[in-house]
Amino acid sequence: MGSAPAQIPTSFGHELRACLRCRLVKTYDQFRESGCENCPFFKMDEDHERVVDCTTPNFNGIISVMDPTRSWAARWLRIGRFVPGCYTLAVSEALPEDLQGLWSSTAMSLEVM
Amino acid sequence: MQKCIDKGSELQIRSVIALDHLKNYIYIEADKEAHVKEACKGLRNIYSQKVMLVPIREMTDVLAVESKAIDLSRDTWVRMKIGNYKGDLAKVVDVDNVRQRVTVKLIPRIDLQALANKLEGREVAKKKPFVPPPRFMNVDEARELHIRVERRRDPMTGDYFENIGGMLFKDGFLYKTVSMKSISAQNIQPTFDELEKFRTPGENGESDIASLSTLFANRKKGHFMKGDAVIVIKGDLKNLKGWVEKVDEENVHIRPEMKGLPKTLAVNSKELCKYFEPGNHVKVVSGTQAGATGMVLKVEQHVLIILSDTTKEDIRVFADDVVESSEVTTGITKIGDYELRDLVLLDNNSFGVIIRVESEAFQVLKGVPDRPEVALVKLREIKCKLEKKSNVQDRNKNTVAVKDVVRIVEGPCKGKQGPVEHIYRGILFIHDRHHLEHAGFICAKSSSCVVVGGSRANGDRNGDAYSRFNSLRTPPRIPQSPGRYSRGGPPAGGRNRGGRGGHDALVGTTVKVRLGPYKGYRGRVVDVKGQSVRVELESQMKVVTVDRSMISDNVVVSTPYRDTPRYGMGSETPMHPSRTPLHPYMTPMRDAGATPIHDGMRTPMRDRAWNPYTPMSPPRDNWEDGNPGSWGTSPQYQPGSPPSRAYEAPTPGSGWASTPGGNYSDAGTPRDSSSTYVNAPSPYLPSTPGGQPMTPNSASYLPGTPGGQPMTPGTGGLDAMSPVIGADNEGPWFMPDILVRRSGEESVVGVIREVLPDGSCRVVLGSSGNGDTITALPNEIEIVPPRKTDKIKIMGGPHRGATGKLIGVDGTDGIVKVDVSLDVKILDMAILAKLAQP
Repeated sequence: MGSAPAQIPTSFGHELRACLRCRLVKTYDQFRESGCENCPFFKMDEDHERVVDCTTPNFNGIISVMDPTRSWAARWLRIGRFVPGCYTLAVSEALPEDLQGLWSSTAMSLEVM
Repeated sequence: MQKCIDKGSELQIRSVIALDHLKNYIYIEADKEAHVKEACKGLRNIYSQKVMLVPIREMTDVLAVESKAIDLSRDTWVRMKIGNYKGDLAKVVDVDNVRQRVTVKLIPRIDLQALANKLEGREVAKKKPFVPPPRFMNVDEARELHIRVERRRDPMTGDYFENIGGMLFKDGFLYKTVSMKSISAQNIQPTFDELEKFRTPGENGESDIASLSTLFANRKKGHFMKGDAVIVIKGDLKNLKGWVEKVDEENVHIRPEMKGLPKTLAVNSKELCKYFEPGNHVKVVSGTQAGATGMVLKVEQHVLIILSDTTKEDIRVFADDVVESSEVTTGITKIGDYELRDLVLLDNNSFGVIIRVESEAFQVLKGVPDRPEVALVKLREIKCKLEKKSNVQDRNKNTVAVKDVVRIVEGPCKGKQGPVEHIYRGILFIHDRHHLEHAGFICAKSSSCVVVGGSRANGDRNGDAYSRFNSLRTPPRIPQSPGRYSRGGPPAGGRNRGGRGGHDALVGTTVKVRLGPYKGYRGRVVDVKGQSVRVELESQMKVVTVDRSMISDNVVVSTPYRDTPRYGMGSETPMHPSRTPLHPYMTPMRDAGATPIHDGMRTPMRDRAWNPYTPMSPPRDNWEDGNPGSWGTSPQYQPGSPPSRAYEAPTPGSGWASTPGGNYSDAGTPRDSSSTYVNAPSPYLPSTPGGQPMTPNSASYLPGTPGGQPMTPGTGGLDAMSPVIGADNEGPWFMPDILVRRSGEESVVGVIREVLPDGSCRVVLGSSGNGDTITALPNEIEIVPPRKTDKIKIMGGPHRGATGKLIGVDGTDGIVKVDVSLDVKILDMAILAKLAQP
């Protein structure tokens, strides 16, 4: 268990948002403070508007992963390379086009593991 | 959706999953159950006693149950699930994901009266037992009932809304904000009518396209067929191309394009989308464009742009509605009574030409000259079809009629020319092949056109049909028939020509002669000269002059004829050849003086569909029996009969018609064979000896007689026998092993050992066949007639070649017991020969 775990959501109300790319689940405020651990290029901590753009409150199911590299479920959900934390099983929105560019430029495209 | 987070490196569990839809349970992933228990220790919300291992195959299902994406976007069609508007179609206007609410646009179902009562504080009406019908909200009506109407400004969109009783209205629609749970957004297929209602005035056919694209998110994916090229759009294998191998209920098995993957993969059909390459020829199978075929021009995710075969325009369709096919449709050309290129009257006193027929509506080019105006009209909006053929004058005061070629000299379409398709109220609809828009139709004022010439005047048509009439006996009859039918068309048109004058209206009409020597005849008026009228008799090939008073208009050919030339050409052409051959038959018939029969027959022929050969047969019988001489003419009809034969093939009763003809064309051997038929007792011929070949024929063609049918196989049967026949035309046929006697010499007998192909036989002398061998010609030898109890060989008839025993003699017949089948047969003595004892 190498990497530092992501923040765990402090509450489970309506503020919970999931990052559109890595599906990390945190509250809106947490995103604003520390951004997304898996997707630092979103720069949510600097640009507060980004939080709204890159995250969504529409998601289904939560999985909290202690060790993604050794969890079958995490690998199945493609979060095997992300930091431990709370993730969602599915998001209901897709990443907007302009932000997708950022993502692919960092060579984290969808691959079969 | 509570989940316990127990993070800490000491814990041995790997992950914990909580599903939304499966409350009260969580899944814990760990190596050992002990770890699970350890982790749960101390947590209050979990019952750690009830730990169950999830079977392996269910593992993926746990995680895979997440995709139920209900993507709501603006302008999507949804249906209300609850309330007064349950089941109503609604359009999403705004989506608020944060609060999970949507604003939708509905057709209001408001009962103004009850509302007024409520607002004024009167007795509050009870919950209405029925739902008021959907109706657009009329603000003025509301005001009349003293309901307070307030104009409000929506902060977000900036539009003005009328606020009535707390409900927001705009343009007559009700805008309502509801939670996402109370609407269903999946598989919403709005019907044309519902869409129609939502169309606010001012929109036109564009909304169809818009609705098409918004239907995308919620539609059921189409069916996949084996061999389709598909692409995975969701899930693990996104962007993987492949071909469909097999289709299951839920899954589609595809053969992926990439190497390294197993041969077939099972993919959920929801995750697949059909994939087309530009250049594929496809056919649209569902949706508003169903039935269209075309070539794919461009592929944009889920929408394909196809160049339609029928309209040569681009159409946008969903990939799911399309299958690859090489079929090319011609498109539907008519709905109801109206067909492509019809001039129709629309309800608001405008008129136009139908230029395109779509699945539920027509595209009509309105009768507005100088400016092409196309309207999309539904079937019920068309009042009637315009058939009037009025005449107008062009720029140079020349008369313009339908089918005249005119050129437009003024206006936006200046320089175009083409034949006039319709004329109405001084406006011409011209069809120009080179004009690309509106299916080539141009609308222009008659005063801005000049007649170019090349009009197909009525007189020419008369002449044509007339000359064709004369060519009745020539083989190519088939082209004649369309000519005849087109004659049917123009007369109907010609009759409606009101512009010319009294008797012009008569020219071309079908009339019946009521008085005079031609009474009872039907014919077409070719010319009118004052009081006398020249009528071309339909039955005879001549034009007679009758007095005007002697004819009456025959109204038989009106609408049916109108329709039939249009598409009857294609389907009914086979019928026409059958009509024409009858004509030659008519003529000999008349020569026999059977005029009344002819006339009587004509009537059913004209009007009915083409089964009645059967009523034909009686006159036919008369004719054929009475005029054997005219048989000679039948070979002339050989070219005629093939077409009729082709047509008559389905009709059983008319099988006879072809067969006699067939017999004659094979003139020669079968004729002879028919005489030999006579000799051999054959089951086919009921009446044998001395019969003219005619007689069997007449027997055979009595309609319905089964005996008629076997004629043909009989002929075939004969053919099989002809080699033998050829050997010996009369008398017995020689076969080996029979006892023969040298003609003239009583004593010398021999046994035929072999029959040579030229007819002579090799005979071995001696009754037991152990003497010398000689070769004898058939006319030198004759068979030894057997006696009772002799062993015999049958030399003719169906049992030729069989051996048997003669058990009795009855006059000229012998009673034979056939060896092989042990049947007792009575056969002619002439065909029995004594079998040689070896």
